[in-house]
Amino acid sequence: MAFTVRLEGLDKRFGRGAREVHAVRDLSLEIGEREFFTFVGPSGCGKTTTLRMIAGLETPTAGRIWFGDTDVTALPPQQRDIAMVFQDIALFPYMTVRQNIGYPLRIAGLPRVRVDEKVEKVAATLGLSDKLGQKPGQLSGGQQQRVAIGRAIIKEPKVLLMDEPLSALDARLRVEMRTEILRLHREISSTIIYVTHDQVEAMTMSTRVAVMDQGRALQIDPPRMLFRRPADVTVATFIGTPAMNIMPAVIVSTPSGPAIELLGRQTAVAPRHHASLQGLKHVEVGIRPQAVQLVAPGPERIAGRVFLREPLGLEDEVLVETTEGTRVKVVTAAREEEFPEGMVVGLEFAPQDLYVFDLESRRTLAYGISSA
Amino acid sequence: MSRLQRSGPLVLLLVVLVLVAFPFYWMLLTSVTPREALFRPPYRLFRLDFSLGNYRELLFATEFVRYFANSLIAAVGAIVLNVIAATLAGYGLTRFAFPGKKTFAFGTLFSYMFPPMLMAIPLYILFSALQMRNTYTGLILAHMAISLPLNIWLMWQYFQIVPLSLEEAAWTSGASRLAALRQVCLPSARPGILSVAIFSFALSWNDFTFAFLLQTDRKMFTLPVGLASFVEQTGVHWGMVMAAAVLVSVPTFLLVFFLQRYLLSGLRTAG
Repeated sequence: MAFTVRLEGLDKRFGRGAREVHAVRDLSLEIGEREFFTFVGPSGCGKTTTLRMIAGLETPTAGRIWFGDTDVTALPPQQRDIAMVFQDIALFPYMTVRQNIGYPLRIAGLPRVRVDEKVEKVAATLGLSDKLGQKPGQLSGGQQQRVAIGRAIIKEPKVLLMDEPLSALDARLRVEMRTEILRLHREISSTIIYVTHDQVEAMTMSTRVAVMDQGRALQIDPPRMLFRRPADVTVATFIGTPAMNIMPAVIVSTPSGPAIELLGRQTAVAPRHHASLQGLKHVEVGIRPQAVQLVAPGPERIAGRVFLREPLGLEDEVLVETTEGTRVKVVTAAREEEFPEGMVVGLEFAPQDLYVFDLESRRTLAYGISSA
Repeated sequence: MSRLQRSGPLVLLLVVLVLVAFPFYWMLLTSVTPREALFRPPYRLFRLDFSLGNYRELLFATEFVRYFANSLIAAVGAIVLNVIAATLAGYGLTRFAFPGKKTFAFGTLFSYMFPPMLMAIPLYILFSALQMRNTYTGLILAHMAISLPLNIWLMWQYFQIVPLSLEEAAWTSGASRLAALRQVCLPSARPGILSVAIFSFALSWNDFTFAFLLQTDRKMFTLPVGLASFVEQTGVHWGMVMAAAVLVSVPTFLLVFFLQRYLLSGLRTAG
């Protein structure tokens, strides 16, 4: 049987009475062998608490954690087949790089020669061979994180836990380390469970992502699915940069069935979505900034004025204010002369790029609404 | 900035230095001046009749060596027990949640405010009942009663600045709690431990109150008590008293001299 990490109704509360914080609420999921599974979400969403419960550093208030067939819920971290990389790197300052990386093996009682052998191998994979004699304080941030990763992978744990390992690094180094971690994931046999608040990290590295909010997993899916089929408004706006435009809209009846009235224009809804929009009036509609086009103003078009234009590089992020006052973000080619700030423009988008969300539950009701 | 302004602090430092250093100089000078030369005018700042006679008399004609040994045993005992107790207590206070923890921590600091005399009398009664007067154990425990509260507080502060993630990194590497404490926490808290050791030593080494009340047997006298008895017995043999004072300050001086770096960093954390 394949090794899986299974969370069953995991629940965690901190504090008591009025000061109680419900950090994780009834979380159940299964992580497959050698998966790169990421918990992503804003701070305080329960992602780190979940990771710490898997590590054995926090005890769940309720629920169980399974490693394969073993119930590890009550086991301390020392008795779980895990290793962990910490947000603040947490290298032992009084030990050399060699001693830091070799620490888990020395604790396990391996003979010195074997430890040295393995340390040198791990250091070589991480490009640290010439740093073995140094103390962590003499290394750069990126090198320190490499040492921390080396210390985690040296005992080849079944489960490798990473708690925002890149957040202490600067932007360029983060991108570099992302590639490095991905390469490691291919080389080692551990299941990687990763925590980050950065959706780009989650999207680029993971095989599957759990988007967390207020202690719950809103959606657990592969990155592309999160982007294409977000389960609700929170996921839709969290995944993708710049964030998806969310606008109020009304469902109206037409002779050919329901239609969405958005920014003063009606869009027909394909029959397969009729049922899910049945009986609704006010909804929210989302569209990604990349799916909106700026065009010359015309009688049939949504009209607006370019309010703000920010260069992103190849593209510009343009904020357009429609005549009714709704602001729509658009990503367009970086040709400022076409639609400079203050210019009156038209907005166009394809109906299949629209997402419809329920106003109350905020769940996704429909996407690709005009396609059959 | 004028030259006067710049040299101002320097002059001030020099004045303070003279004020502090002169008694030491006088102590050294007196200790090597023969008894008969001490009160013979003229009294000068520099004297040439050097002799180690006072030291010889001190070491061979008095119980000084015994007092010194007693003091050393008490001090070493106080250091060892203080370091163990304060380290474990400080670790416990930072890493475990238990009811009444805040009260305990404040109570600890509060108990340090009592003057030693206030504790000496109850301790006298207690140790009489337990037959622990005139024992090293009793004296060491008495010294701990004054130094331990501040030491616990100091270690408590120290462990607060040792990141918990260091220990967690050790645990997830497979180390037990005790191994993590020893291999990861203690090295980071070493300046604190040295501060505790120095403070425990200084308090025990200089204590008069407890030693005077609890150690009534001459054989169990410590240095401060023993030195005081010199003053009464011999009609103040100043040269010898000063020779004793020199020898008493040697261990303190060495300790502070070699560990001053840690002592200062310890005070910075506590303050």
